[in-house]
Amino acid sequence: MISPDIICDAVTKSFGATQAVSEFSATLKAGHTTALVGPSGCGKSTILRMIAGLETPERGEVLVGDEAPDAVARRGALAMSFQDPSLLPWRSVSANIALGAELARKPADQVDHLIDLVGLSGFADHRPAALSGGMRQRAAIARSLISKPEVLLLDEPFGAVDAITRRRLNVDLPPLWRARGTTVVLVTHSVEEALLLSDRVIVLSSRPASVVADIAVDAPGPRDSAFLDTPAVQDHARALYSALEGR
Amino acid sequence: MIGVNLWRKLLAAGALLLLWEGAVALSSDAVLISSPSDIAGYLSENFALIARASVETSRNAFWGFLWGNAAAIVLSATMLVLPRSERFLLALALLVFCVPLIASGPILRVLYGPGTGPQVTLAALAVYYTTLLALLVGLRAVSQNWIDLMRVYGRGPLATLMRVRARASLPYLFVGLQISAPAAFLGAMIGEFTGAERGLGVLTLRAMRGLETDATWSLALLSAAIAMTGYGALGWLGRRAVGYAPEILLSAPRQDADQTWWRSLGQTLLIVACVVAVWQLTMDAFDLNRFFAKRPGDVWGFLIVAENRDTLVAALAQTLGSALPGYLAGLSLGAGLAALLILWPGLAQATLPFAVALRAIPIITTAPLLVLGFGRGLAGTTVVVAVMIFFPTLVACQQGLRQTPGQVADLFRSYGAGRFVFLCKAQIPAMLPAFFASARMAVPAALLAVTTVEWLATGKGVGVLMATTSSTSNYNMLWSCVAALAGVAAAAYALVAALERAILRVYASEQLT
Ligand SMILES: Nc1ncnc2c1ncn2[C@@H]1O[C@H](COP(=O)(O)OP(=O)(O)O)[C@@H](O)[C@H]1O
Ligand SMILES: [Mg+2]
Repeated sequence: MISPDIICDAVTKSFGATQAVSEFSATLKAGHTTALVGPSGCGKSTILRMIAGLETPERGEVLVGDEAPDAVARRGALAMSFQDPSLLPWRSVSANIALGAELARKPADQVDHLIDLVGLSGFADHRPAALSGGMRQRAAIARSLISKPEVLLLDEPFGAVDAITRRRLNVDLPPLWRARGTTVVLVTHSVEEALLLSDRVIVLSSRPASVVADIAVDAPGPRDSAFLDTPAVQDHARALYSALEGR
Repeated sequence: MIGVNLWRKLLAAGALLLLWEGAVALSSDAVLISSPSDIAGYLSENFALIARASVETSRNAFWGFLWGNAAAIVLSATMLVLPRSERFLLALALLVFCVPLIASGPILRVLYGPGTGPQVTLAALAVYYTTLLALLVGLRAVSQNWIDLMRVYGRGPLATLMRVRARASLPYLFVGLQISAPAAFLGAMIGEFTGAERGLGVLTLRAMRGLETDATWSLALLSAAIAMTGYGALGWLGRRAVGYAPEILLSAPRQDADQTWWRSLGQTLLIVACVVAVWQLTMDAFDLNRFFAKRPGDVWGFLIVAENRDTLVAALAQTLGSALPGYLAGLSLGAGLAALLILWPGLAQATLPFAVALRAIPIITTAPLLVLGFGRGLAGTTVVVAVMIFFPTLVACQQGLRQTPGQVADLFRSYGAGRFVFLCKAQIPAMLPAFFASARMAVPAALLAVTTVEWLATGKGVGVLMATTSSTSNYNMLWSCVAALAGVAAAAYALVAALERAILRVYASEQLT
């Protein structure tokens, strides 16, 4: 599988009088994970939704490889995990996860494996109403992974997940998409999570979003909890915090 | 455990029957009340006749149920595909729903001639609007996120409709169907009141006019039982198919609050023009006999004669005068009891299932009993109208009262506020939208009840005017009555809606959507 680059070329989007994104440009390299961090309401979700083809930019252009986002979507090569898990209430956890494969017209052969991986074993037959917010979010992540997408968009995927599980998922999940060579765009509020998961972190200013810092995370070593304690990564963290505060 | 429970219930039912029997035996009013043994006697003596009539009415109700619900599904699908048509179609659907069935009955009889056409059509008319509202609520219950999810995988509107919208509105469809079952039966019976040859409605009319107490009681109870069986069966089917029943208030969607008065007026005129055009065109298209099938022009020509107009206006005033006390009594008793019950939550929990079940009984089928008991004057009419409105209002208000979110209750509790303060400051404002929704839906219900009672028993008002004009072949008067009733119902509905907007703007502005 060859994943595409994602090219945002001076995209601008406003909702009525609210300018959400203004002239945002970036090339997100194929097979890399890029994190977007920035204050609430600065336009991160809007950027992600434009990459997914859910919003059309007013000006500028988003290209995935050499295709428009909705063409990639029609191939079933795109998946997104939303800020709100949005599971279908009438489907069980496993059927909700399988939906990702059904909609992308891919085989649903990894349901059990993914349920284990996100720590939902024993809940496969439960309805979403019987799960906690964090558990629902984990099911939604599994749903986005099952179709083996070329482009994976994660909008605050672990926001409602408890701290311990979150740390474990931060370490356990990335090898999955790294091995597949997936191009990942991640929105998060956690600097540690951004560093742990990404090859590159883009810090955005408050609305309308513009890039205030762009840091490559090229520290060596396995990406586990110890990774955050290495001096190179701590330098990155300091740089990120000062970019976020000095906006 | 189930066995023990069942035995208890049977024992209780048996005790109740004995009590009833004893009370009738001791009472002096034996002319008005039948005992269980009288009813059993009447039913067994006339078994073959009643069985045939039951099958006939149930069959008409069944076909009306199918047609009416199919129409509701088609209408809601149209509104989904063409969102701009929604407002217009809903207003039109409401206007048609506002015409009391007992008024459309004679007209349909004239148009169809003999046969089951009017009964089936009335049954369909009785159900389509509530199912339509339930379906619209269901189709709107789809979260934008689910639609986004479909688009992220490149799936179009068709896949969204099949996989998400249809499935998400299924529970609401079943709620609509469940409420439809007794309503369809009611529609079929009213169709039979207005000149059929067979059916429970015909027998009821005969029993009423002949003052046969046992027959009236037996037929009323049997009709209610059949209607409730349909309600129960569809509820069971819905729980099997969906697994849960959503709690929905069948409120017609409100118009936009920013609607200017001249736009509303324009819209109203457009709808009236459309109705008149459809009226004229269907008559011409089917080339209906001018003697029975009056055109808008005929009604106009008839009503500009002062004498005719005065007769109609006098009858209308009589009808509205009988409807108003019952309407107000039903609404205030329903809302008041809901508020009282909420102060004793245990009691509310225990009564809600009964209220929900009783809401489903087509009260009109028991109207003959109420008229027997309370007389043919204003008291009898008021009771029928009030009872007709009471149960839906009670259920809606109880549901509305429980809409107050848990956090708000906790907030009040954390300030040590008592139950009464909480009721006044949080729960009643939360109940207002549900109350007004039922006040609006009660307008056509009240008019239906009052005209039916007039037709059956009291010998006054528009109901009886229609009953006599259809037998004296004064078809101009019949059509004028129907047009006037539709106009009055729509105007009263609009009045309640305007009152609702004004009050909600002050007391619950956040709930104006
Ligand atoms: N559908 C919408 N309609 C109107 N305003 C919107 C819509 N979506 C986002 N916005 C506005 O655009 C801005 C950016 O939103 P969003 O991209 O969701 O921010 P973030 O995800 O960074 O918190 C916010 O001010 C938000 O209110
Ligand atoms: Mg966001």
